[in-house]
Amino acid sequence: MRTYELMFIVDPRVADEDVVAMTGDYRQMILGGGSEITKEESWGRRKLAYPIGKLNEGKYVLFYIASQGGQTSLAEVEHRMRQNDKILRYLTVRTDEDLKRAGSRIAPLEPPMGATVAGAGAPPPASTVPTPAPPAPPVDRERHEGAAERGE
Amino acid sequence: MARPKKVFFRRRKVCKFCADKVDYVDFKDVKLLQQFIPERSKILPRRISGTCARHQRLLQQAIKRARHLALIPFTTD
Repeated sequence: MRTYELMFIVDPRVADEDVVAMTGDYRQMILGGGSEITKEESWGRRKLAYPIGKLNEGKYVLFYIASQGGQTSLAEVEHRMRQNDKILRYLTVRTDEDLKRAGSRIAPLEPPMGATVAGAGAPPPASTVPTPAPPAPPVDRERHEGAAERGE
Repeated sequence: MARPKKVFFRRRKVCKFCADKVDYVDFKDVKLLQQFIPERSKILPRRISGTCARHQRLLQQAIKRARHLALIPFTTD
């Protein structure tokens, strides 16, 4: 089985309901292609690190996809995203190999504040079950905070 | 007369990821990635951060992915 993460940025001028509708369309496409969505996150409006098409913000949506290889429709989904000019950026990353290599040591990343998370049906496969994260390492006090503080 | 050789005590740098036993660097983990992009937003070289080759590679990949999604900047001016 292959797993993917598909993240995309929607034009912030698109209303929230329309983002939900768009997300729904893509969800249908993915499900229609025989893949499952194990988790869905909506990060909401977020500042872009640099302007894209004169826009400074974007709405982030993230799918976690599980697929039995071969029949995936992700190429098709990407194609549609490319054509949709409301989608500023998208990125699909295949994660199963990395996750397998890492075993269960990966603690799932906390979505940022204000994000909505949907489990979308089936519980996540065993490999993604949260394991108690190791205690956070002491943050390097000398590290440069410049980039974060400027926070353009 | 030759001056006595200065002795530097350099703290041995340890790969942060090896210490934490990290096997996958997530491109969505902006907080983590930001520790490796100093002011000019360039990727911090191994020479400075002490990251091992394997983890630098994972980190580099993650930073590039995060840049594409505008989670972190390519550059600051």
